[in-house]
Amino acid sequence: MHSSVGNDVTIDPPSSRGVAFRRIEPFLYLLPAVLVFTLFLVVPVAGTVVISTTDWDGIALSSATFVGIQNYVDAFQDSGFWNALWHNIVLIPYFVILPALLGLIPAVLVHQLKLRGARFFQAGLFLPYIMPGVLIGVVWRWILNPVFGPVNAALDWVGIDAPSWLGDFTWALPTVGLIGAWAAYGFCYVLFVAGIQKIPAELYEAARLDGAGLWQEVTAVTLPGLRREMAVVFSVNLILALRAFDVIRATTNGGPGDETQVLALFMISAAFNANEVGYGTAIAVLLAVMTLVLSVLVLRLFREADG
Amino acid sequence: MGKRLLVYTLLLLGVVIAVVPFLITILASLKTTVELVQGVFSLPAEPQWANYRRAWVDGNFARFFVNSLLVAFGVLIPSIIFSCMAGYAFARYRFRGRSVIYVYLLLGLVVPLQALVIPLFYMMNEIGLLDSLWALILPQIALSMSFGTLLMREAFSSVPKEIVEASVLDGAGSWRILWEIMFPLARPFVGTLSLMFFIWTWNEFLLPLVVNIDPAYQTLPVGLLYFQQRWTSDIPVIAAGATIIFVPITIVFLVFQRQMIEGLTQGAIKG
Repeated sequence: MHSSVGNDVTIDPPSSRGVAFRRIEPFLYLLPAVLVFTLFLVVPVAGTVVISTTDWDGIALSSATFVGIQNYVDAFQDSGFWNALWHNIVLIPYFVILPALLGLIPAVLVHQLKLRGARFFQAGLFLPYIMPGVLIGVVWRWILNPVFGPVNAALDWVGIDAPSWLGDFTWALPTVGLIGAWAAYGFCYVLFVAGIQKIPAELYEAARLDGAGLWQEVTAVTLPGLRREMAVVFSVNLILALRAFDVIRATTNGGPGDETQVLALFMISAAFNANEVGYGTAIAVLLAVMTLVLSVLVLRLFREADG
Repeated sequence: MGKRLLVYTLLLLGVVIAVVPFLITILASLKTTVELVQGVFSLPAEPQWANYRRAWVDGNFARFFVNSLLVAFGVLIPSIIFSCMAGYAFARYRFRGRSVIYVYLLLGLVVPLQALVIPLFYMMNEIGLLDSLWALILPQIALSMSFGTLLMREAFSSVPKEIVEASVLDGAGSWRILWEIMFPLARPFVGTLSLMFFIWTWNEFLLPLVVNIDPAYQTLPVGLLYFQQRWTSDIPVIAAGATIIFVPITIVFLVFQRQMIEGLTQGAIKG
């Protein structure tokens, strides 16, 4: 085998097998990655786009008929689609803003008071973030169980007549949202703590020389210094809110009624329960486009604030 | 001092809220249903190991567990090898189409699984892989390629040129340079990447739920869902099933805490 580093190129005559091999060598290294990526990611994504232009029951390929953008038109006229989309939007404050605040406030306090051992708390806080969504759903479902769960038992003990949370028409969606916030706040805290440590100490000294108080230090130095981390927290959690599936599948499965129906669930049930595969894939395309547009917007927003 | 104490209390409260649901789930898994109603924090009179036996044997968790392990390592090992090869190609070679191929591979960072999972089901059916572990392994490797290539390119680019040049003079071929010189130098990156691939695969739910129908080829998350549907009101048994899933993850997390937190936060920043 030949290497491309060094100047041994001149040793080989131009027509030799060595030169030709060296030319294709990088492609050989890329081959496995590109091949598996193309076959099992790019091809199915292309499949999603193609199928979304057809009316297909998912049984025989011959039964698919081209309908153009009809599935997209149908989606925009389907109250079920808007209902699911609305629930994704309602989840955004719970999945994005609440955990960001719950992570930011203690991170700032720890830094301002120069508390030691902030790292000691990291592992415990971070734990929910690495757990599978289904597990989180199953765990909270029993904790919030109206008969056997500790939450209602405690509320009952202090004399509060608690709802059945995940089974309650009013409470189901906020409850799912709060579970999402619970899973994410530790992640936000850890990210913000790491970000604050990277802010140069001189900036704080300069602010203090200018006579800035604690609050001004936070707004003038800490928050701008955390722009990158904010962008990450917002875009990652925004995507989680839009793609929400695992936790909901394991807790309410869209119910009661359609109260917690979200796009990802709606898409799967359209494709596999209602056998409207074309329609399901159209929802998938819309979901992918929305995620992409929103994450680009968030990154833009924070980058523009940058300069 | 008062302020500090307040913040420490706040942090402690945050930890307690994050961890207690798991702890009481372990407790619940060792109780009878009657004991469960009597008090959340109370200890069982006698640990009900039978709950675990029911999960492990009747609930088929033994099978799901083995499947999860096979899929996790079936994804992890080839993903690391392919990521290293691709990262190496970008870090060491200049070639036609280099940036186009790079951008192409990174597209995976912005594509959600939802955008490919429906055709994947029909594809797997077509090539006869439906209801097999391959149906879970192959797409997961594909999903791993973007981040893997990105990270390993960065890792190999940071290896000093002199080291590579010295080994070329020693007559080492490029394949040997990759695995015997670059790879050991990039070990911290490989470690982080392995942990992330492992956790992503171990936690994946939508993919197995859609592409495999036969429970014999399911992994733990889907298994837990079946389990919850089957034993709806037998909470101690469900808690035992949940515990079987989160205890191994927690152990892996506690052992590799630093790398994992670093990997997941950096991974997020880069993504």
